[in-house]
Amino acid sequence: MSDIRLGRRTFLSVVGLGAVGLLAGGRLSGAAAPLGRLVPDGVGNLVSAGGWRIYAISPPWPSFDPASWRLEVTGEVEQPVKLTYDELLALPTQRQTSDFHCVTGWTVGDVRWEGVRLAELWDRVQPKPTARYANFVSMEHPYVDTLTMEQTTLGGVMLGHRMDGKPLSRAHGAPVRLVIPEMYGYKNVKWLTRIELTRELRPGYWELNGYDVDAWVGRSNGY
Amino acid sequence: MAAPTATELVRRFSPAERSLHWLLAGTFLTMLATGLILTLPSLAELAANRQLWKNIHLGAALAFWVGLLALMSSAGPELRATARELDRFDDDDRRWLRWSVHRQGEEPRQARFNAGQKLNAAIVAGLMVVFTASGVLIYLQETSAAFRGRTSAILVHDVATWVSIPLILGHLYLATVNRSTRHSLRGMILGTVRRDWARRHHPKWEETL
Repeated sequence: MSDIRLGRRTFLSVVGLGAVGLLAGGRLSGAAAPLGRLVPDGVGNLVSAGGWRIYAISPPWPSFDPASWRLEVTGEVEQPVKLTYDELLALPTQRQTSDFHCVTGWTVGDVRWEGVRLAELWDRVQPKPTARYANFVSMEHPYVDTLTMEQTTLGGVMLGHRMDGKPLSRAHGAPVRLVIPEMYGYKNVKWLTRIELTRELRPGYWELNGYDVDAWVGRSNGY
Repeated sequence: MAAPTATELVRRFSPAERSLHWLLAGTFLTMLATGLILTLPSLAELAANRQLWKNIHLGAALAFWVGLLALMSSAGPELRATARELDRFDDDDRRWLRWSVHRQGEEPRQARFNAGQKLNAAIVAGLMVVFTASGVLIYLQETSAAFRGRTSAILVHDVATWVSIPLILGHLYLATVNRSTRHSLRGMILGTVRRDWARRHHPKWEETL
């Protein structure tokens, strides 16, 4: 009778597979992303495959009350405004399908957004020539993030109030969030309540925690 | 010495073995629950206090390794002997693995651990290393840009989770529901099992008692 050390072999195989997975790096995550899209939505919501992870910084999540909520645009503008939810929805709405990339490594592909281009808003408030940055302030205190005025009119940037055919859910930043697919998720401020145009750069919440100000997907934060 | 009776109790697991089992069970289930809260979109509202769940998750991981170190320093030789027992598969073990698939003929005689238990132990031990390595990388990626974009740590951690869940469900089924095997739970809680049960499931071990 001969004993074989099948236990050790099994243990080392599992560890080896894990090491290959870790070392294969981003390539493997990229290859697995289409698999996530094969998972039906219902299952996708239950398991994490291809799905969202909901990040927040100071619980509980802000609640949206249509009666009292306002979107305020202030700072270096000629015509400050305070929009109600209905007034926001009444602005011309654009549709787009874009990918959402998180800086921690996950991606959700083909998110269907509906929302308002910032150019539309700038037409109403008339930014002064001194306005160089837009600060997007969340109801989730102290979350804030910043774009340059040029960045606010990039192709995919919008104030998204509908996602995948439904009003933006609380988890995703109801009633409206910034959408900028060109940059990582932390620039896509949720639960928006105020936009302040300024002369000077004010670093956002995650920038103060060591992340890049210009969070270009694939070209920042060590990628 | 009196002749053995069928219903007398014999010791299957030592206090150190049981401590290790329950240390792993407690910390693993804590990590599974908090991990699912952190990762499943359907539980995301519960996870609004992310830092709290993260701290519990990481605390349980730390508790596991600290507990393992403590057990190894207090009962190292004994636990290493158990590991050797789990590591070695004899001819009957290999026959048992084939038998467990087709279920024809007599069950090959097994010792204190059957070949399925040995395999499970090896896979779980491997998973603990994979979970820890990928988990440490996820932690580093979240705290420092230098580690970002280099590995697929989240994917590996996720895959390890989806492998673990059927393993743990099968383990719980055999330990609590399945009539012929659930007596073994007594052994893991109290240390002892009935001699007639041991003779039926683990005859090569029962003979040596």
